[in-house]
Amino acid sequence: MKENRIRILYIDDEIHNLNAFKASFRRSYEIYTATSAQEGKLLLKEISVQIIIADQKMPVSTGVEFFNEIKDTLPDPMRILLTGYTDVEDIIDAINKGHIYSYIKKPWDEHELHKTINNAYEIYRTRKQLREKIEELEKTNDELNRFIYSTSHDLRSPLMSVLGIINLSRLDNSVTDPNGYVNMVETCVLKLDDFIQKIIEYYRNSRLEVEYEKIDFNTLLNDCITAFKPQNTQIRFQTQVEQAVDFRGDTFRISVILNNLISNAVKYQKPEETNPMVNLAVKVEPHKATICIRDNGIGILSEHLNNIFKMFFRSKNNNKPGSGIGLYIVKEALSKIGGTINVESKYGEGTQFEITIPNRNEFDT
Amino acid sequence: MNSIPDLRVILIDDNEIDLLLHEKLIGFQQISRTVISFVNANKALEFLSSNITLPKIPPTMILLDIQMPEMDGFEFLQAFDSYPHKIKSQCHIVMVSSSLDYGDITRTNANPMVIKLLRKPLLLKDLKETVEGIFKDFL
Repeated sequence: MKENRIRILYIDDEIHNLNAFKASFRRSYEIYTATSAQEGKLLLKEISVQIIIADQKMPVSTGVEFFNEIKDTLPDPMRILLTGYTDVEDIIDAINKGHIYSYIKKPWDEHELHKTINNAYEIYRTRKQLREKIEELEKTNDELNRFIYSTSHDLRSPLMSVLGIINLSRLDNSVTDPNGYVNMVETCVLKLDDFIQKIIEYYRNSRLEVEYEKIDFNTLLNDCITAFKPQNTQIRFQTQVEQAVDFRGDTFRISVILNNLISNAVKYQKPEETNPMVNLAVKVEPHKATICIRDNGIGILSEHLNNIFKMFFRSKNNNKPGSGIGLYIVKEALSKIGGTINVESKYGEGTQFEITIPNRNEFDT
Repeated sequence: MNSIPDLRVILIDDNEIDLLLHEKLIGFQQISRTVISFVNANKALEFLSSNITLPKIPPTMILLDIQMPEMDGFEFLQAFDSYPHKIKSQCHIVMVSSSLDYGDITRTNANPMVIKLLRKPLLLKDLKETVEGIFKDFL
């Protein structure tokens, strides 16, 4: 508790004032004292305080002069001026220039001084929290920008080379391709590029309002399956959609979620599995939709389950390292639309994700 | 396509596959018989500065990538801007990038030295139109 006490520096050339102050307040605050501005400055080099109280009338430097001198090097502590006589001009000037937070008349009223100190500290604390929050936000924004930039370049650049090669092979007719494989390659590359662009879009629009529209899960799931099937043609997809009532939700975010989860289910299959499968079940109720994505793939180590939604976390025990971003996006997208996610997994047996998304149908709005 | 006499094309791209692709496209369209490729923008600058001794600088089209390690496309432009008029006036710079970054695109469009930004994959049609646009007085 003691460590959390407010630290105050009180500067006054009259020692009995310093003693009186200590006597009244030492139980409430951590108090440092100095008999001159000079001594006070030395002390401030060693100790960081939240509040500085200075007497106005001191030899050499006055209180206002002292505050003026330190305000650039120590802008954070709250400054309170103590004054025995009414040198109004100086005080008004100092307050207007923002050098001091408040002034107290001598002899001080104990209750009033208490209140002033506590109010000053409250402002100090709020300012500090605000600064910390701003720093945090700047860091997050910076991460976001770097992510968008590397996505738009590092991921797209090789894809665009592939498209360039396909275009060239058509121009010079150098590839014999009676079964149209090159076209299939192109279709997949374009789909993947489309998805990359969607991720970028998602981040760009992350501050924009969520948009609700009618969603048909059969169509949505089929689109996803068409996109991922070519990656592993062995996989048997099973879908089961129970959609008796209309569902309204944010199409873009929901497809981002499904794309990521289905992509993982397809990617992390056991190589030796003779019957790889991905099971997709959707159940729409008036107030929510429950979507279950189950696979019989390699599964996730139980000690990694807590971390899989963290940005850039990659589970170590697989030889197909991902980008470490997919499930993070899933979680972020879900939190935007008020959804939840649960994961169950047995290493070597498979994984099941269950997500619930609120249904924003007419009854809701 | 009507060839422009002694037109040369300089390609600057850290991706060797893209360099090859662009070289082939230029050959396919018979835009120029002289294609000089650089995987490093610094090397391209060195080459261009060595041109100062030539009695006459040939008309030149530069296809410049944006994101490259060491020196990126914008840094190249900045350095090249200080080159003598004799060289600069003969060089027509076209940026070629797969970037979707809003900043890259606006910076490219705002640069007076850049004639155009072409998207990757570079299409024959776009390349042809751009060359015709730049050298319309020659044709």
